[in-house]
Amino acid sequence: MGSFSLNYLLRRLLVFFLTVWVAATLIFIIPRLAPGDPIQAMIARMTQFEGYVENADLIIEAWRKRFGLDDPIYVQYLRFLGNTLRLDLGYSMANFPATVYELVGRALPWTIGLVGIATFIFFTVGNLCGALLAWYRTPKWLKVMIPMSMTFTSVPPALFSLLLVYIFGFLIKINEKPLFPQVGAYGRGMTPEFTLEFFGSILYHGFLPAMSIVLVTFGFWALGMRGMMVTIEGEDYMILAQAKGLKPFYVLYRYMIRNAILPQMTALAVSIGTLINGSVLVEIMFVYNGMGSLIYSGIANQDFGLIQGTSFILIVTSALAVLIIDLTYPLIDPRISLEGR
Amino acid sequence: MAEQKRHDSDRVVLSVDNLRIHYATPQGDVIAVSDISFNLYEGETLGLVGESGCGKSTTAYGILQLVQPPGYIVHGSIQVDGTEVLNLEEEELRKFRWTGLSLIPQGAMNSLNPTMRVKDQIIDVIESHEGKQNDREALRERIFELFQNVGLPNRIYNMYPHELSGGMKQRVCIAMGVALHPTVVIADEATSALDVVVQRIVAQTLVKVKDEIGVSLIVIGHDMGLLAQIVDRIAVMYAGKMVEIAPVENVYANPLHPYTQLLIDSIPSIKERKPLKITEGITHDPRNPPSGCIFRLRCPFAWEHCADAEPPPFIVEDKHEVACHLYDEQFEERRTNALATLANP
Repeated sequence: MGSFSLNYLLRRLLVFFLTVWVAATLIFIIPRLAPGDPIQAMIARMTQFEGYVENADLIIEAWRKRFGLDDPIYVQYLRFLGNTLRLDLGYSMANFPATVYELVGRALPWTIGLVGIATFIFFTVGNLCGALLAWYRTPKWLKVMIPMSMTFTSVPPALFSLLLVYIFGFLIKINEKPLFPQVGAYGRGMTPEFTLEFFGSILYHGFLPAMSIVLVTFGFWALGMRGMMVTIEGEDYMILAQAKGLKPFYVLYRYMIRNAILPQMTALAVSIGTLINGSVLVEIMFVYNGMGSLIYSGIANQDFGLIQGTSFILIVTSALAVLIIDLTYPLIDPRISLEGR
Repeated sequence: MAEQKRHDSDRVVLSVDNLRIHYATPQGDVIAVSDISFNLYEGETLGLVGESGCGKSTTAYGILQLVQPPGYIVHGSIQVDGTEVLNLEEEELRKFRWTGLSLIPQGAMNSLNPTMRVKDQIIDVIESHEGKQNDREALRERIFELFQNVGLPNRIYNMYPHELSGGMKQRVCIAMGVALHPTVVIADEATSALDVVVQRIVAQTLVKVKDEIGVSLIVIGHDMGLLAQIVDRIAVMYAGKMVEIAPVENVYANPLHPYTQLLIDSIPSIKERKPLKITEGITHDPRNPPSGCIFRLRCPFAWEHCADAEPPPFIVEDKHEVACHLYDEQFEERRTNALATLANP
């Protein structure tokens, strides 16, 4: 097992904060590249709706002062960085006076739950299927999985959600009741609390959204795993494993899967960001109040504070996932060591 | 040649009879091993030599039942201590492996699982054949003893393959190969990937371990010089056929087959450089071998009869067999002339 050095940890953390800093800076700059400023835009919107706004100049001046827009740009930038460090992501303009932090805090657990469970399922099932597809003892009929998973992989998740809702939320009925609920994260009229009933309701409601992510994703992992397994099968140590007369199942998991899974783990860390983005449409399809729905409402309402805040959280999540995989990689691949040179 | 020890047992431990192995290709089957037969005696070291592609590794993998697709065994018989290997069921074969026949692989660089500790790769072979070992201390001692046999330090017990040098990895493979005291060990180009110094040490280790444990050994290689120092008998293969098999000193002092003669004649010495006597290029298509003798296209002594009939193995002296028409009694005159040209070119 590779050993661990403080030096490497510090360097790796530095890279993490550098990534987050660059991302925060981009989030700060991009909205300011557009002409005008948010206060003027807001007054303009108000004028549009109400025809005339009294003392518009005074309001603009007061709000500019209130949001610090009169300060030089570097002061604004430093203040922004300071606020971001304290996770103060500002107000949501559409949901004022709710802060972005509150909104994200409410939405994030739902997305982590949904994407987390879906990821766990598709990664396990996908890699297991891929491994079995490449194994010589697997029954031939299982090979139908190959074209099947290829088909599923090329369907967009949102389209799949529609199909699943139609089949399981509408077509198949037991006692006049659909098999699965069409929308929502938990039963209507329930209040979030730590009871078994509420937890069951979450799983029940989360099944279809999770399945629409799993079904379109697991094929990708199965095909990747199968490719890795075929490569491993040609390795010299596989011939020796066969010559040694080891038990076939032992060879499968200790010699083949153990080595084939390594690149899959790296790929998973890199794809976390894409996964959350991919869940946006699925969440909207199922009226699931997670990050996806929040991002969507931010874009629909031109709520810059919200867009910036949610983007920032997603970037931090992705960077964190890569950091965790990087730091734990020596645990799964003994050839990698975190010792500083 | 201090490490040489003559065996004198006549008990056959491995008998290969009429073994034929093909590789299927879209243009027809390539004949990799063509009806070869030989015996391996108890405690003996047999060298299997020949140029690249002559089928020596395929023969080894055929004996071990490890021919990888598209290769397949067409027919033949392989008996180890009376057990017909080709008739074993899957589970019987699994149990027979490593206890009956073990392999020291070609290219030890990649022959160890990179994600398993050295000890675990030796333990797994012990446990899959002898069941779970509850006395961990005894198991550790047993592995240390194996390390000692092949000259490995105990500190590598907990190491991963990437932490070892090439020579060390090859020794781990030797230690692993003899862990269960198999009847026959096959070393397939076990020293080819190493530099000459390590090569010699590893080869000596191989012979030492073989003598200590009392197994029979087949060494496959193309380094005639190295093989001369460690084997008892040499079998020379050419294009899937076994052309000559003889005690090692006979092969060097008195090679009989024209191919062996050319091979021996091409070994350079420190005093003189020698040109390669065997002409490259006139090799036949392995899918359509020539009629009669396989070597006649490159043979300096070939005549009409060589195209008509395939030479059977002629037993010339004690344990010295050669597959060449020159050694047929009726062509004695021709043989005398041929040997004369060889002596005075």
